[in-house]
Amino acid sequence: MRLRLSYDDRSAAILVLPVLAVLLVVAAYPILYSFWVSLHDIVLTRPLRRPFVWFENYERMLGDARFHTAVLRTTVYTVVTVTVTTALAVGVALFLNESFRGNKLLNALLLLPWATPSIVNGLMWKWIYDPTYGLMNALLVKLGLLDSYRAWLGDPDLTLFLISNAAIWKQMPLAALLLLVTMKAIPDDLYRAAKVDGATVFQRFVHVTLPALRPGLMLVLVYETMISIRHFDLFLIMTQGGPGDASYTLSWLIYVETFRSLRFGTGAALSYLLAMLTFLLSWLFIRFLGERNP
Amino acid sequence: MARRLMLALFSALFVLYVAGPVLWLLSSSLQMESEITAVPPNWLPPNPGLHNFIAIFTAGDSAEYANRGIAGFLPSGAANLLPSLYNSLQVGLWVAALNLVFSLTAAYAIAVIDFKGRRATLYTVLATRVIPDIALVVPLFLVIRNLGLINSIGALVVTYLAVTVPFTIFILISYFEGIPRDLYRASRIDGCGHWGALRHVYLPLSLPALVAALMFAFLTSWNEFLFALVLTQNAAAQTLPIIIAGFVMDFTTSFSFVNAAGVIAIVPPVLLAIIFQRYIVSGLTAGAVKG
Repeated sequence: MRLRLSYDDRSAAILVLPVLAVLLVVAAYPILYSFWVSLHDIVLTRPLRRPFVWFENYERMLGDARFHTAVLRTTVYTVVTVTVTTALAVGVALFLNESFRGNKLLNALLLLPWATPSIVNGLMWKWIYDPTYGLMNALLVKLGLLDSYRAWLGDPDLTLFLISNAAIWKQMPLAALLLLVTMKAIPDDLYRAAKVDGATVFQRFVHVTLPALRPGLMLVLVYETMISIRHFDLFLIMTQGGPGDASYTLSWLIYVETFRSLRFGTGAALSYLLAMLTFLLSWLFIRFLGERNP
Repeated sequence: MARRLMLALFSALFVLYVAGPVLWLLSSSLQMESEITAVPPNWLPPNPGLHNFIAIFTAGDSAEYANRGIAGFLPSGAANLLPSLYNSLQVGLWVAALNLVFSLTAAYAIAVIDFKGRRATLYTVLATRVIPDIALVVPLFLVIRNLGLINSIGALVVTYLAVTVPFTIFILISYFEGIPRDLYRASRIDGCGHWGALRHVYLPLSLPALVAALMFAFLTSWNEFLFALVLTQNAAAQTLPIIIAGFVMDFTTSFSFVNAAGVIAIVPPVLLAIIFQRYIVSGLTAGAVKG
């Protein structure tokens, strides 16, 4: 028996070690190393001077006006993106859950935004928003909703929402698919029973679909929040934090601080702050949405 | 009937929303620079042609390159587009292949073998994905730089492997757990070791999950931007998204050319996603029902 056990352990070790080795070098070690870096004043332009400064980087960033702006922008962007993505995904999932001709085709089409590279997504929407040649101006003017062409991304009040719109287009499909799978698992009996009891369509949605959808919804909310709060690609390609500081988010601040100012110490400290924020939020979601199982 | 009318209306709205933006990109890519800059815009290309795509594929050819008339202003990095396409393909295939081997073996061990430290291994694997990429990019840049691997395909392959492996292991574990345990016991009684059980029982029975894992690994590598931006510096290792992002931020670039480059970057992932739709959907949503 002891021999058999050790054969299991030995085999498992051989099978698992390659993965653990890769994750150690490319994930675990950098994460710990990053903490070490965040405690030093490392500026890449002065490679020989790197004093240990305890938590000074964190203190400096927490008191920095750019950090406050970035937190505000990230919050607005995340709340808008997550809310609209989820609402839209619930609608699309309800729609695709109906059986009708062409349903399979629409299901396949749903993968189009999901498979589109985020850079192409940014380029595509930037082109749609283009002040002179873009589709959006042409369409709105043609429909009579707009008098003259506008520089959409140049408007600081709109920029964040326009970027969010591009993100929603790409993120909605996966959310809808996750919700659709959850919906398909709801037994038909529940709907029939509700019908017998005289429930309207709306009542059936609120009292049967929504409670059963809770695990799927939680997954979508947590996942969408995680990817929105850290999103970077669209901000680089569409606005680079601008106009002014209208789209200056946390991920953009980290990028600027690290790779433009070459201040790796504060960059790493900011990364840790973002990681902690992410942890805190996912914990809150799971705490307040996950526990209340019917 | 009211229901049918509603469904038709929703279908139309759905197609418009999901496919509309891409169709506009496609339409733009088939127009000449002079047509694309018409106000109001041409909804459909007046003289559809592949001139922008030809410009991309001949950008490295100096004779053709001199003949700029074909597509307006070519960006200075136009010649890098084809090598970057090759880099993207190379990285994607390497990641997909290595990911399959790594996640297959690890998922088998975690799902099937009852070994010491099994839970700890699973949690370690999953925990690495909780850290945001943007937080990982700074230290990873330093680690890769210290290893002297900046601007190499290998650095990207290893990075993407670490990014994709936790999720594919998760997919495969949930699939393996659905395979009847009796098959495993029978194979062991027949004298198979773990390698034999993996090869003769789990590998042939989990093809759908393996396809999902392969697709996920390839698409993630193909689409990834942030790590590639930081870890690569020139055409020797830069992938397609990096080159395209460079075009977009270069104000002198011809719109039609950039749009064509975007279309080229969209085609492989979209084709793969639609061909392997069933596997991808079941793979991505694995575990969603279990909650």
